[in-house]
Amino acid sequence: MNRPLFQIFFLSLSWFNLINGQTCNLSLEGTITDLHDRSPIIGALVKLEGTNYFSQTDFDGNYQLEGLCPGKYQIIILHPECPTVKKRINIQTSQVNNFDLEHHINELEEIILSEKRISKLRKSVQEVSLDIGDINSYGSNTMVEALSYISGASVLKTGNGIAKPAIHGMYGSRVGIVTDDFRQHDQEWGPDHAPNIDFNSFETIQLIKGAAALKYGGDTSGGLIILSSSRKQLKDSLYGNSNLILESNGKGGKITSMLEKTYSNGFFVNGQFTAKRFGDFHAPRYLLSNTGLREADFSIKLGKDKIVSGWKFGYSSYAVETGILKGAHIGNVEDLFYALNSDEPRVIEDFSYQIGAPKQQGKHQKISFSYFNLFKNQSKFEWGYNFQVNDRKEFDVRRGGRTEIPAIDLVLKTHNIIGSLSGINIENWTFELGINGLLQDNFSDPNTGIKRLIPDYLKYEAGAYVLGNFQKSNFFIWEWGMRLDQIVIDAKKYYDLSVWSERNYSVVFSDFEMQKTGSQILTNPKLFFLNFSAQTGISSKIGDRFKINASYVLSQRAPNASELFSDGLHHSIAAIEYGSLSLQKEISHKLLFSISKEKGSIIWSFEPFISKVYDYIYIEPTRLEQTIRGAFPVWEYNATDVFLTGIDFTSSLSINREFKFDLGASYTYAQDLQNKNPLILIPPLNSYQKLKYTPREGKWDFEIVHHLNARQKRFPNSNFQVNLIQEGQLVSETVDISTPPPGFQRLDLYFSYNLKNKSSLKSQIRIIAQNLTNSEYRDYLNRMRFYSADLGRNLQVQLNFKY
Amino acid sequence: MKNIQNLFKIKIMVLAISLVYSCSKDDPDAVNQQEYISNVVLKVQSSDGSSQTVDWDISEQNTQSINLKANSDYKVEVSFLNNSDPSDIDDVTLEVIEEADQHQVFYEFASVSVDVTSASDDVKDGSRGVLIKSIWNASASGAGTVRVYLIHQPTNYSGTTREDIGGFNDVSIDIPITITD
Repeated sequence: MNRPLFQIFFLSLSWFNLINGQTCNLSLEGTITDLHDRSPIIGALVKLEGTNYFSQTDFDGNYQLEGLCPGKYQIIILHPECPTVKKRINIQTSQVNNFDLEHHINELEEIILSEKRISKLRKSVQEVSLDIGDINSYGSNTMVEALSYISGASVLKTGNGIAKPAIHGMYGSRVGIVTDDFRQHDQEWGPDHAPNIDFNSFETIQLIKGAAALKYGGDTSGGLIILSSSRKQLKDSLYGNSNLILESNGKGGKITSMLEKTYSNGFFVNGQFTAKRFGDFHAPRYLLSNTGLREADFSIKLGKDKIVSGWKFGYSSYAVETGILKGAHIGNVEDLFYALNSDEPRVIEDFSYQIGAPKQQGKHQKISFSYFNLFKNQSKFEWGYNFQVNDRKEFDVRRGGRTEIPAIDLVLKTHNIIGSLSGINIENWTFELGINGLLQDNFSDPNTGIKRLIPDYLKYEAGAYVLGNFQKSNFFIWEWGMRLDQIVIDAKKYYDLSVWSERNYSVVFSDFEMQKTGSQILTNPKLFFLNFSAQTGISSKIGDRFKINASYVLSQRAPNASELFSDGLHHSIAAIEYGSLSLQKEISHKLLFSISKEKGSIIWSFEPFISKVYDYIYIEPTRLEQTIRGAFPVWEYNATDVFLTGIDFTSSLSINREFKFDLGASYTYAQDLQNKNPLILIPPLNSYQKLKYTPREGKWDFEIVHHLNARQKRFPNSNFQVNLIQEGQLVSETVDISTPPPGFQRLDLYFSYNLKNKSSLKSQIRIIAQNLTNSEYRDYLNRMRFYSADLGRNLQVQLNFKY
Repeated sequence: MKNIQNLFKIKIMVLAISLVYSCSKDDPDAVNQQEYISNVVLKVQSSDGSSQTVDWDISEQNTQSINLKANSDYKVEVSFLNNSDPSDIDDVTLEVIEEADQHQVFYEFASVSVDVTSASDDVKDGSRGVLIKSIWNASASGAGTVRVYLIHQPTNYSGTTREDIGGFNDVSIDIPITITD
């Protein structure tokens, strides 16, 4: 007989012995429901520890305790199919307390284990979760835009629809993305490369500041974004949801739909698709020609989850085509100068759904298989294999009918295999060990007729990690982790002979030389990096309401292919970019703190961080290079030491049952210590405030959101001179690509109306107005600011059905 | 024990995959840079039949000067070449002529004043001369610079300054020019 059942048996007997000899007259009542499906839990025993007061829930899950004295109690809830819940409770007046229990103890153990993987690991670091439903309801078109609602996260953009995440001012290879347990591998190095992911095929997005999830790698000093699917229910059911979104800006919309069938034997199958189509978007005063967007994605997931063992198979396909603002296509620095000094884009055409050059095409396919097995001692063995193919094409306006030929054509194939053993409990300690292996193959198609920006390369990675956490009570956790990665990059790259000798590579890297062909030399750089990363942190509750976290993260990152090998002209910013073979690994130390108040009508958190990065890889303008299109600034990758610090603040005030007010702000300071310059592309001070009104009957709600971005006053000066002929004279002008635009404010409105249907699932109609006042602004983190203002007013209508 | 065996299996798989791959990566082909322009050649013919050729080469970036006499007509023919493979020099001018509707040659002068008009045998798109062949006439003596542009997809063909014409530059190079009386 297991323990809870025994206790029920025992306590049932003692029912008749209950003596109520006190003069106290307070009552405690409430409902106990299943955390997952909100169904009442029948027959649960509710007991006040150390007393004879107890009650058993009825068919509606209700319990009632009467004749209580004022005082502090420990409430215990017991049910044979649920884990025992203990909560401290202070009874001064008669009150209602509802509790949620995790039904199905077997299923629960699995949840606990699978959550150890993510949430337990990160108890001592800052983590924010978003529900995919929330993302849609905020009217975001990309996963990354949705993250901008999180304090401390920001968005780097290249026009509309091309957005990449930044955390604490770090982006690109310094922010990792994990989808269903595997790292995403696409061409994440460029600022104009958005992650090729359809967020609609997942249920939650977690953002982790700092590289605390060593399971997924130790190289992301900015943080991690984790997308995951929900746990499947162990019952026969069929459900799904559909979202239809229509938008005025871009005259387009999106449809996404998901259907899932689960069986009581643990088998599940899930299918999902998303389709998007937009024409040219518009800024407040003008149309942004050639900024249309087309996307089509689908995914299939199936598997069997039998609690003690299970397997999962998934396939997903993502395809996107994004137009780049026509006025942003420039040939040289003179064009850039004129574009910067023009109030509006230099090409404005009539509205169209056509996407012409310049444009980007991205295709990403993923196949994964994973298996887990639970042992009697509660430890869990998992392994998985994942294969990803990323096909990226960029098209420029070209001569001689070559516009149809991509200017950049890269195919990146990644094999990834992971294995782990988790949930190893030794007294108050829990351990997890794991390994992973990765093989990556990049192919750069020579048929573009343009010098490769990124060469062909193979990359091998082997990693191993161990994580431990110590938890003696619910009030204190100490955790740590260590990880070792060996990375080998084996590239084959043509260098111009002149560059090869000018940069002294012919001496330092002579063993990479293979053969000379004409003015070029084929080389085979083989680079080895051994990276050690570690993390440790504590989390402690102070009383009932406050919580503090402190953690230290050491991360090491090998330079990426772009930092090592970049070689060529970057049209959109009129820059020639050169990588550097001499780069070393980047070593980041980061300290994160947080103090938060988690209960009461006002909740808040302060999250400061400080970080020092050695050999921080950055790109800087070094000189001018003469080309057939005039002199271009040359940007070269280099390393320096940087110092970053900042603070994220969030708060929420429940004014009464109808009104809720949220306020958040975030500031990051970043300084290049060697050159004594601020770092580029660091988000300025920004804040949001939200006021939400929900009437008592809860049929609808209304929310108003105000964003305020200050001007970034700390920026490096990367300006350069251009010689122009004006009124018959040669004059020298400054091309100001550095000065950030003024600060801006934005107002958004959200209205949702709940539609009831038979099954009591919530279907909704939403009406959203973004940039309500149609204010014209330019965002420092959006590179299109050189050419045009940001988007104007957008009205959205969303229909969301659940069934 | 079983776990360790499983982990071992994974290691073997990783090794197997890496071995298969490390043997299969071929040497990449060198890129044949198709759109590249390495030379801009100006053939300047005076009305008396004498001629002068200025060849602006990307690798040398020479500063050969154009010499004109004031108040006389010169016929200037521009050509764009790709000689990155000296054994197979590519005349890019032909592509420009073929896409005359999307291209405009343009000359801007600093410190000297030269009037440029379309030659009678110039390449035309409708009535617009592309200025592959043009007539130059300098009004006064002096020394200065001519900037030679090849503009792709101009937005305003009737513009008189580079800024007005719009589009983007496929070529923008400076050549010294001397005008004598």
